[in-house]
Amino acid sequence: MQLLRLEAYRFRNLSGEIEFAPGLNILYGPNAQGKSNWLEAVYLLATTKSFRTSHPRETLLYGEQDALLRGAVIEGNLTRELQLLLAETAKQTFVNGKREAVTRYLGVLDAVAFTAEELEVVRGGPEARRRFLDRGLVATMPAYLGTLAEYNRILKQKNRLLRDAADAADPNRFIPQIESWNDQLVRLGAEIHSARTGYVDRLRQALTPQLFGVETVDIRYRSALEHRGDLSDYAALFTERLALRLRNEIASGYSLVGPHRDDLEILGDGREIARFGSSGQQRSALLLLDLAQINVYNQAFSEYPVFLIDDIDAELDRTRIETLLNHLEGKTQTIVSTSKRALAERYGARAALRPIAGGRVVASATLELRDKAIDDEKNRGKNDDKNDDKNKDEIGAVGETGETDAVRAEAAESGDEEARHRAPF
Amino acid sequence: MLDYAEPVTRLIDEFKRLPGIGHKSAQRLAFHLLKSSQEDAERLADAIREVKARIIFCSTCNNLTDVDPCRFCANPARDRSIICVVEEPYNLVAIEKTREYHGAYHVLHGALSPIRGIGPEDLRIRNLLERLRPGPDGESEIREIILATNPNTEGEATANYLGRLLKPLGVRVTRIAMGLPVGSDLEYADEVTMHKALLNRHEM
Ligand SMILES: [Zn+2]
Repeated sequence: MQLLRLEAYRFRNLSGEIEFAPGLNILYGPNAQGKSNWLEAVYLLATTKSFRTSHPRETLLYGEQDALLRGAVIEGNLTRELQLLLAETAKQTFVNGKREAVTRYLGVLDAVAFTAEELEVVRGGPEARRRFLDRGLVATMPAYLGTLAEYNRILKQKNRLLRDAADAADPNRFIPQIESWNDQLVRLGAEIHSARTGYVDRLRQALTPQLFGVETVDIRYRSALEHRGDLSDYAALFTERLALRLRNEIASGYSLVGPHRDDLEILGDGREIARFGSSGQQRSALLLLDLAQINVYNQAFSEYPVFLIDDIDAELDRTRIETLLNHLEGKTQTIVSTSKRALAERYGARAALRPIAGGRVVASATLELRDKAIDDEKNRGKNDDKNDDKNKDEIGAVGETGETDAVRAEAAESGDEEARHRAPF
Repeated sequence: MLDYAEPVTRLIDEFKRLPGIGHKSAQRLAFHLLKSSQEDAERLADAIREVKARIIFCSTCNNLTDVDPCRFCANPARDRSIICVVEEPYNLVAIEKTREYHGAYHVLHGALSPIRGIGPEDLRIRNLLERLRPGPDGESEIREIILATNPNTEGEATANYLGRLLKPLGVRVTRIAMGLPVGSDLEYADEVTMHKALLNRHEM
């Protein structure tokens, strides 16, 4: 699949539209001019989520009530138009000009993004890694979003109950209620566990572990119930552990057992990369995971998602960029941003260059622009345009956004047009 | 400063208290009433007054009724050994429309939801247990309880809770099946429903 064109209205500082070519597209220009915002806009158009923020109002141009993104996507010979209307508290999705439930909108355009924010996957805590897996799963298995949303909804209910119990004079009277929520937690938790382990198997087989050199990257799904019993009957083990730890859960006022405590182990040469990897190894590992995700997607749909790389030269060195771009050639439509004009020129012959200034594509990079780019290069770090908000709740497949997806799904189910209109982020 | 004369603003405010009514809808309803005849407006006011004055909960099944016991509980033709448990009176109406079910009902008036502060004590469970109490012969007249709470997380938790509570009493407890809506094309089922339908498939 390929994004042909994207228009942005009242979205951050963007204006006008960009035409994208198949293969490699390079957006370049000085920092804070809108390159990353365009990448964010592509990702939003594809997934309805931002890779930077979970608060849509932050993406609106200051003082505006809503923003609009519109793009044309071609898959095979079929061109479809996507439109995403972002308001302060809600979003609306359209396919070919017709209002469409988000579950039917998703999948027209799929995107994988390599960004500074995503580095959390290889350096941060387990939550970022679970989100990485869940994101990939949703793209290949849309119903998984519903399973996750339901699990999270139950978890929220149960956590409230545990807190109430922890504060109560007689916590025991809450036990029958807690157990009634556990029944569902087990059923959905087992589904999530089996989906994630299956996905990690596929990812692992799709890994090209040595693409970037000598270090070998490997992955493994690590259930929090490992070494606690027979994982092959997850539901039974989960049930057993819930019963065993009921008292601890009440005492702590929090759900201690379940796949929301699991992790994806990422190993570089056999050692955990989040703890022992160098920053270069971490970047390579994340790239390999993104590429594996793209391969798994391709195995499922015989198509490639759009691959986005924000600030490519800040995140990767020259050899890695070269290796990566060679690897992707003939596969994905790739859209990268950079502030280095030299990089844009180096790949100019095999890429579509889109100089960006003032939030829009300019006819060609003027000398002035080049000078500003050099200045910015010197000031790098001080006025970097991409680090203002590192909100970690971006995928939202886990968490509140997932839940509202369920609201939307319910609305779709009941044909309740009103509810779909009201569906919040 | 009020946008409209005080009585109009008050009417709009009252409409806005209703579920699903925002400011714009409230305004539209208020102006519709202002334009309609005196009789039409009186009829609406009377209907509201009367429903509050005359409608009570059935002391047996908690259904909305104007006579106690309600017409389902009082009807000798209905099988009182089966009780179908629903969340709200309108769920009862939906089941009744099938004309397939001839047992008794029990309305809980809600579902468990810790987030909204709704626990078992807020549901009408106590008089359900009373209905299960053994008669003079030592036998309960109830043979089966059908749990027909909604197929969402809250309804499911409520069904699980009741199941755990009722089964030890020796009564047969069943849960209604969930899945694809019958009479519609598979094409119209959303992914979540489809996924559940596949999970709950059975042997032919
Ligand atoms: Zn009754």
